[in-house]
Amino acid sequence: MPVFEACPECDLLLNQSKAAPGDKAHCPRCGFLLHRPHKHSIERTLALSAAGLVLIVPANLLPMLTIKILGKTQEGTLWSGVSALLKEDMWAVAAMVLLSSVALPVINLILAFLISFHLFAEKFNRRIMVWMRWYQHLFEWAMIEVYALGIIVACVKLSDMADIKFGFGLYAFIGLLMINTLLANEFDNYTFWRSITHLSKRQRV
Amino acid sequence: MKAPATALKQGFIRCHECGQLIKANTTLICPVCRSRVSARRHQNLHLTAALIISSLSLYIPANIFPIMTVTELGATARHTIAGGIAALIHQDMIPIALLVLIASILVPLLKILGITLLLLCVHFKWQVDALLFTRLYRIIAFVGRWSMLDIFMISILVGLVDLGGVASVIAGPAATAFAAVVVLTMFAAKSFDPRLIWDHQLSHD
Ligand SMILES: [Zn+2]
Repeated sequence: MPVFEACPECDLLLNQSKAAPGDKAHCPRCGFLLHRPHKHSIERTLALSAAGLVLIVPANLLPMLTIKILGKTQEGTLWSGVSALLKEDMWAVAAMVLLSSVALPVINLILAFLISFHLFAEKFNRRIMVWMRWYQHLFEWAMIEVYALGIIVACVKLSDMADIKFGFGLYAFIGLLMINTLLANEFDNYTFWRSITHLSKRQRV
Repeated sequence: MKAPATALKQGFIRCHECGQLIKANTTLICPVCRSRVSARRHQNLHLTAALIISSLSLYIPANIFPIMTVTELGATARHTIAGGIAALIHQDMIPIALLVLIASILVPLLKILGITLLLLCVHFKWQVDALLFTRLYRIIAFVGRWSMLDIFMISILVGLVDLGGVASVIAGPAATAFAAVVVLTMFAAKSFDPRLIWDHQLSHD
């Protein structure tokens, strides 16, 4: 029996792709990137998410920037913006910044770690589908790369009035940014769902 | 050329979450990932429209009111989004000013107008170049999160520059409105189903 799949953006019925690792399968009608299988995608996801979870700690705790204006200095971490916004009663903005720069990147790393660990160890868990669904929905709300661009713009704005020094928190944050980019590249939803289906079928036998 | 077969016309529904093809009218719950199955997100057109109208009405206060107040050596200046860009131009930081202009003013506007166009196209069953409209949808979905740039930049400045009369930055009311615009337009893009563009097209080539 031939196995079919459908394009998520135009619903074209397609034969299940036999894209080899390294290939990219696009929808012939709308050009949507259907999947791009990678070699060792699960192992790499596991390694990257573990590394990311380690880097989260210094990125959150160590000062990222230090400014000096007229002899007065001040340090800022990833959290100081959130706490300052809360002090000014801007709780909605504070919540949005907290979610997209701290909370969701952590949650996504934990989800990616849990999913890839269970697939790697071939341990079936009922919740793995729920993790996948959460990961897919929360993915775009973690905005580390946008935050990094925000740091650049803030530094440019400050360059006129202050001396700026970069701290270790910033280096850890840049590491986290790189890991996140690599992770997004490795985490192919299609490959992961297929592995999950295989795993759950084997479980039932 | 005859319209190619879509999954729905062949009696299949693609699960939104895991991509599994399911025979139409057989189940309401996906057998793989246990999420609710529906062929199209039709009912969401109203939701998308409501989100777009709300974000349009918040886009105006977001641009009129000050997004931050900067105190430097006792002198206080209120900046709107456009004022912040003007300040960057004044600093001779044209590329950064252009970046902020695109992320904070053009992208939200493009999203609001673009999603309105997509909604009109689906509602009035316009015969259009579906590929072009799908690309528009993809651009909208991709660029959305980058509008958070200004919010992150402000949160960094607010957290870092808190030196009393020497220098301090306080977030303004427009920040809340602007963050809401970004979040609402992201939800609007997410709630739109691009397959609806293709469904009513009479010819494909
Ligand atoms: Zn397609």
